[in-house]
Amino acid sequence: MAFLELDHVSLGFGPPNDRTEVLKDVNLQVQENEFVAIIGFSGSGKSTLVSLLAGLQQPEKGCVRMHGQPVTEPGPERGIMFQNYSLLPWLSVHGNIELAVKQVFPRYSRAERKAHVERYIEMVNLTPAADKKPSELSGGMRQRVSLARTLAMQPEVILLDEPLSALDALTRANLQDEIVRIWGEDRRTVVMITNDVDEALLMADRVVPLTMGPEATLADAFTIDLPRPRDRTLSNSDPDFKHLRNRITQYLIGLNEEAKALRVDERKEMPDVRPVDFYATRRTSFWERLRNNDTDAA
Amino acid sequence: MAFKYKLLKAIDVAGLQVFDPVVRLCYGEEPKLQLRRIGLFIVIPLLTLAAFVALWAYVGPRHKTKAGEVPSPAVVLQAGQDTWRFDAWEDTKAADYKRAGQDREQALAAVNARIEELEPQAEQAAAQLAEVEDAYRTQLMEQVKPLYDEYRQMRVDFRDESQRREAELEDRAAHLSGSVAEREAFLDALREHRQWEEGEKAELAAFKDQIGEIEDAKAPELEAARAQSNDLGQELQYLRKRRDQLTSDNLSLKLADAEQRLEQREQAFLQASSGEEALSLANQILAEEAAMERIETSTYAKPWTLPDQIMRSILCVFTGFVLASIIAIPIGILCGLNRVFMAAMTPLISLFKPVSPIVWLPIVFIIVGGFIPEPSDSALLDFFNAIPVLGAYDVNPAFLSSAITVALCSLWPTLVNTALGVAAIDKDHINVARVLRLGFWSRLVKIVVPSALPLIFAGLRISLGVGWMVLIAAELLSSSEGIGKFVWDMFNNGSSQTFAQMFVVVFVVGLIGLLLDRIMIVFQRLVSFDGAPTAL
Amino acid sequence: MKRLVTFCTSLLAAAASFAAPLEKTDLKFGFIKLTDCAPLVIAKEKGFFQDEGLSVEVVAQPNWKTLLDNVINGNLDGAHMLSGQPIAATIGIGTQAHVVTAFTMDLNGNGITVSNNIWEEMQQIDFDLDTPFPEHPISADALKPIVEEYLSKGDKLQMGMVFPVSTHNYELRYWLAASGINPGMYTKTDVGGRTDAEVELSVTPPPMMPTVLEAGNIQGYCVGEPWNQQAVSKGIGVPVVTNYDIWQNNPEKVFGVTKKWADANPHTHVAVVKALIRAGRWLDETDASGHYVNRDEAVRILSQPNYVGADYNVIKNSMTGYFYFQKTDKREMPDFNVFYKYYATYPWYSDGIWFLTQMRRWGQITEPKSAAWYAETAQKIYLPDVYLTAAQELLDEGLIEKDEIPWDTDGYKPATDAFIDGITYDAHDPIGYLNSHQIGNKDFVGTTAGN
Ligand SMILES: Nc1ncnc2c1ncn2[C@@H]1O[C@H](COP(=O)(O)OP(=O)(O)OP(=O)(O)O)[C@@H](O)[C@H]1O
Ligand SMILES: [Mg+2]
Repeated sequence: MAFLELDHVSLGFGPPNDRTEVLKDVNLQVQENEFVAIIGFSGSGKSTLVSLLAGLQQPEKGCVRMHGQPVTEPGPERGIMFQNYSLLPWLSVHGNIELAVKQVFPRYSRAERKAHVERYIEMVNLTPAADKKPSELSGGMRQRVSLARTLAMQPEVILLDEPLSALDALTRANLQDEIVRIWGEDRRTVVMITNDVDEALLMADRVVPLTMGPEATLADAFTIDLPRPRDRTLSNSDPDFKHLRNRITQYLIGLNEEAKALRVDERKEMPDVRPVDFYATRRTSFWERLRNNDTDAA
Repeated sequence: MAFKYKLLKAIDVAGLQVFDPVVRLCYGEEPKLQLRRIGLFIVIPLLTLAAFVALWAYVGPRHKTKAGEVPSPAVVLQAGQDTWRFDAWEDTKAADYKRAGQDREQALAAVNARIEELEPQAEQAAAQLAEVEDAYRTQLMEQVKPLYDEYRQMRVDFRDESQRREAELEDRAAHLSGSVAEREAFLDALREHRQWEEGEKAELAAFKDQIGEIEDAKAPELEAARAQSNDLGQELQYLRKRRDQLTSDNLSLKLADAEQRLEQREQAFLQASSGEEALSLANQILAEEAAMERIETSTYAKPWTLPDQIMRSILCVFTGFVLASIIAIPIGILCGLNRVFMAAMTPLISLFKPVSPIVWLPIVFIIVGGFIPEPSDSALLDFFNAIPVLGAYDVNPAFLSSAITVALCSLWPTLVNTALGVAAIDKDHINVARVLRLGFWSRLVKIVVPSALPLIFAGLRISLGVGWMVLIAAELLSSSEGIGKFVWDMFNNGSSQTFAQMFVVVFVVGLIGLLLDRIMIVFQRLVSFDGAPTAL
Repeated sequence: MKRLVTFCTSLLAAAASFAAPLEKTDLKFGFIKLTDCAPLVIAKEKGFFQDEGLSVEVVAQPNWKTLLDNVINGNLDGAHMLSGQPIAATIGIGTQAHVVTAFTMDLNGNGITVSNNIWEEMQQIDFDLDTPFPEHPISADALKPIVEEYLSKGDKLQMGMVFPVSTHNYELRYWLAASGINPGMYTKTDVGGRTDAEVELSVTPPPMMPTVLEAGNIQGYCVGEPWNQQAVSKGIGVPVVTNYDIWQNNPEKVFGVTKKWADANPHTHVAVVKALIRAGRWLDETDASGHYVNRDEAVRILSQPNYVGADYNVIKNSMTGYFYFQKTDKREMPDFNVFYKYYATYPWYSDGIWFLTQMRRWGQITEPKSAAWYAETAQKIYLPDVYLTAAQELLDEGLIEKDEIPWDTDGYKPATDAFIDGITYDAHDPIGYLNSHQIGNKDFVGTTAGN
């Protein structure tokens, strides 16, 4: 029995006359302590998948199970990091994390709680900004707060929805190591959404591509059996690494072409729109414009 | 430097952004740009204001009704000063009542000196007024008398001529032959006579109007003499009252008198021979002691003056506002949380929202009256009067009715905005709460209310504005001491300053409204987390 | 010197208060902004209340109805009232509550003002009126043709008065009816009093009168001062007659309290009346040549914004022994305001009965009543005992003279015919008085027995 599983799950949105079937017949088994990366194109349904795992949404068909029990509601044991960060704008960085910590560890003393919160802020390098409000932070900083909040809850399953997409290469590398470290140390289970193949290869045990939507589903997984710790400096020279990367990339390109081919068929007649050259109009005189309009009309 | 930014931030939070360029200019930051901004956002508004005042000064005195003319800015300023002087005078009288010892003697000496100085002046002014008045009257009579005589002659002539013509016509009518032409001619003659009569009457009326105009013409000299005599008389009256407050009506002197009396009785009591007399004297001593206690705590009953009334109005609107918030915010939250509750409340809200204060007040009055059968002995009133600042302003049924009316009229914006703020809560924030498994109360306190707070405060701000507007009407109707009562009293006074005092009230109400709004803006900015600008 | 006098006074006052401990010393009285509130204001400002050990606040009220309500519901301890108000409240016209009075505040003091247009028309009709100094009193005879002209156009002349049971209502009605103009009857169903009216009367608060007149909603009004002088000084209208000419020395305002209050605070009530009597006396004090010596100061005080608040000149015009009928028509009227002379402050039963007859005459009292009922009702409302106790104390304290008070009266003034129509009023025969009028309800002895 899998630790966390999606069993023939389907989900769509909208009323019957205008429906998009986002996910169809999705199957996934995640083992305990496994690190799974899900990779796919934008809009294919990755976030939807994660929120199903978190229990924020219920499948229309099929079942989501954890420990063999159906997941009916979200909870702190499945900590989710939202793609849009979902920080509370009226709380500071510290306050946002503290709110979660207070709820998950109600027994902590004030000092313990403070230390705990500060540790995670430190982990994402935000100590100098601890008292700032989200509106005063950059996009990447917000993303880090959100990550810190999720990790600070120390959940059994960590669900990460593109956790590092907005970060510079260096910070990103650091946090990748940090996530892997936490996963390794505390032996947790991680499901991470990413659209960076290298990142998936560096971190995951298994990379599962999601096919193009609508009616997206999970394709066959690529098992990454590279030894850990993985050295990102080797990624350009290591043949196994390169091989896996090529396979996955090829697969994804294939998916994309397949999707394009599909789309050609249903291509619609496009209206003939000419882009307006604002710069030009601003410089032409009133009379010229009149003349232009005449010729346009003709 | 850090101070500069703190200052700028404070200005921003206080909603006083117009002064931002001034501060920046003081720090020498981009002087050209700052000067331009000062020009745009300070000088232009000031110029507009000046233009308004100039227009007012020009148009006002030219717009006349019989009830008076629109007061000019100078007259309004004068009325404002007089209103404040009235308050200052009453304060002085109250202070005089409590003066004792040397302080009292010094004040008395000053008052007496001033009286001595003013009395001859006042006499002179009165004499001059009488003279001017006489001169004016005789001059007017001289001017008008011949006109009246002429008028009377005209009327007599008119009457005689009219009677003559009518007799002639009557005679003609009596001798009318059967000829059609003659009868037609008679009709014409009668018509002509009527026309002539109308014309004469109009002429008479015009003549009389002329006389009236002369009579109604302004006599600036007379008015000046009157004003002068009046001012002196008023001040003398005030000084004489002060003298009373410092002598016969003075607290310390009354106490001394009472003490003296008490002593007399005590002496008499010691020497009382019969039991009856002793008992009676003992009783008198107790009564005298009670009287002394009463005198000690007594104060001068100062009448309500505008500054006190302003303060009471502010407290009243604040009471109503707190009441409105206590009602509106919880109901608004429930509406926002629960669609069924919202649906249940919608008809009630729509029904009561548009009801005017004038309708609410009598209803509220009856209800409040029901709770307070005996104002001199009411636990409810005692409760309110025990509240520190509020208690000093005499909470009575009229006050409570006004406050409740304010609440009833002003709670709607807060209610609607709260419901909206709660209902429109970001789905992501709810998801956070769900993942954390927050309970109902923590969800409410930690997620729902904070996220709705900016909208709630926007609603509160509108509510306070509405409340302030409604309050004046409520006070006027309930005759609860406050700005509304001041307006009604001054209107009822029908004095030459009445119009000007209304204008004073316009500015007082406007300024306080502005101030309240600014305060709410500060609150609104403090709770707004997204840095969204608040409206002007 | 003054200090010594006041010292003695307060000694005496204190001596009096030993015998009679006051039930209540902090009092709140209401008044309407009219010059005849003077006794209340003067008693406060001149310290007469203080001398009695009372701390009094006087508060302006917006209208007569609110004033009465505030007295009844206890927000006020007592108030400056229309003579008709305690009577009407006690017998249940309008608000029902037992209200009593032990002090008459003043005599006369009202006037009837018509608009400039009506005045001009009256002058057209009556040649003798068309001078700067027409002869007085002016009756409503010259108004009658105007009323008829209005009626022939299907219109009715509109006039204002201040309250349904106000002296002004009855005076205006009296003046109109004396010239054969029907001012309309009250009936069970017509509480507006417009049945059969040739001139329609409506209620307008005193301060609104000039404004409403100028706006043309009414063509005339009957009101107290300063609202007639206001019309003169602003040139809005012309006072044609004062109530002194309608009924010489007619009672005007009283000081009213609820029966409940009077029963609960008998000694305080006496103390209040004492202060009021002194105030009335102060207001009517004259020098050897008969000029009022204190009126100027009184006018000064009344013109303060928290009291009457009208301009000093306007109040002065009627308070100091003169009355302006037009800007140039200033006449001596020493008795226009009487606060103390002629036993003015005594609560006469006969005054109460006159108001009752008027209420019956115009139908506010819907059923015929017996003569005995009139007397009994007046005795329920007017409290000469309280008045006489107060007067006796003042006499003992040497503050008034013996001949200033009608000690041995039975409460009935002698019969008088000093009315504009010369009809005799004898309070002992209210039914006969009722029946002596042309217009209005008449009761016949046979039908009254039931009551
Ligand atoms: N609440 C919703 N109502 C309707 N359609 C939705 C809703 N949420 C998601 N969708 C649709 O489902 C599809 C998948 O959305 P999803 O957010 O899961 O994409 P994604 O793979 O996470 O994309 P990205 O990489 O851009 O985040 C999209 O086409 C979107 O339009
Ligand atoms: Mg997504």
